Amino acid sequence: MRTLVFIPAWNEADSVATVIAGVREHLPEVDLLVVDDGSSDETAARAAEAGATVAALPFNQGLGAALQTGYLYALREGYDFCAHLDADGQHPPAEVARLLEEVRADRADLVIGSRYREPGEAKSDDYRPTLSRRIGTSVFRFFLTLATRQRFTDTTSGMRAANRRVMRLFSENYSPDFAEIESLQLAVRQGLRVEEVPVRMLERVGGSSFLTPVHSAFFIFKGLVVLLVGQFRPRNGEAGGEPGPLGKAGVEQ
Amino acid sequence: VTGLLAAVSEEPTVHLTSQTRILAAIIAVAFMLMILELIRRDRLQERFSVVWFIAGLGMLAGAIFPGLLAGVADVMGVRDTNVALFSIILLLLLGLALNFSVIMSRQAAQITRLAQERALEKAREQTRSGENGGEPSVRGAATAKDDPDG
Repeated sequence: MRTLVFIPAWNEADSVATVIAGVREHLPEVDLLVVDDGSSDETAARAAEAGATVAALPFNQGLGAALQTGYLYALREGYDFCAHLDADGQHPPAEVARLLEEVRADRADLVIGSRYREPGEAKSDDYRPTLSRRIGTSVFRFFLTLATRQRFTDTTSGMRAANRRVMRLFSENYSPDFAEIESLQLAVRQGLRVEEVPVRMLERVGGSSFLTPVHSAFFIFKGLVVLLVGQFRPRNGEAGGEPGPLGKAGVEQ
Repeated sequence: VTGLLAAVSEEPTVHLTSQTRILAAIIAVAFMLMILELIRRDRLQERFSVVWFIAGLGMLAGAIFPGLLAGVADVMGVRDTNVALFSIILLLLLGLALNFSVIMSRQAAQITRLAQERALEKAREQTRSGENGGEPSVRGAATAKDDPDG
């Protein structure tokens, strides 16, 4: 059973080596891939120095395209399971191991690491979301629950583990604009078992959140449009069965 | 009642004078020549030129046969031919703009996939060269351990 852990990174030269070292420590048996999303800094070089395989996109394509690159690599190279985490140091690699256990035990096809934990359990260096982030999260949570009839707490989590059914689906259909939320909706609609596991997240090591209030409002609006449109997408019996013309773009299995 | 009916069935007024018709015909011909020239210089692909030729021909037909426009306005139930003309042009441009958005979306998806394929190819190259000089993951683990800052 081969496992790939991939890390989408865009201008994360300061933290990517630390994240790679952390994954090596907690998951010594996995292969590591860093998807460099057209960084203008030394991200790719640092990742290669730290011993990871680097898939460098020639220009910035957005998180969705970077994640899809990882799923595509895992699918093509014949990995049985894959997982991904953010390059900014928010996601403790030990928690990724817990997500992988769920898919390895075949309890779910896709496992999401949720940063929202039981109150009272929180520790001092745990992740604390900002107000605009909390509003956005609860709006998405409500509508995604409505759309999928399944309860999700952390809709935008970038820490996930998946098996080959998910690889097949996401390597064909993955929105470049609204990767996290739409992919959850897509997976549930395709009849995949999606499960959330509460995990511990840390404050990010480098970089800052890009969200200003105007940004957040636009982000939420866009997300709602994407969710609404997603409800009218054809529901395929087979996962990754009939991709639209945008999904194909000349792909062979 | 008869007065009202008479007012409603009043003949649609044609505002095009012979002067504007000649001007429109010249513009239409010049437009189509421009399209031809763009194709000849490889600035425009033939498949994208078809719709513009149809637009140019329509413009020319409207200029030569003013009765055509009046007839279309009558079918649309619009009494002012100018309103009919602008409505038709507006709708055509709207459709064209949407068409371009569709084409752009397709090309954006193709560009993304092309970039991904190249990235994967590079990654495969790296793992292949790593296999020649020993297992890459083992070497990576050693590097990470040796680095005190890592």
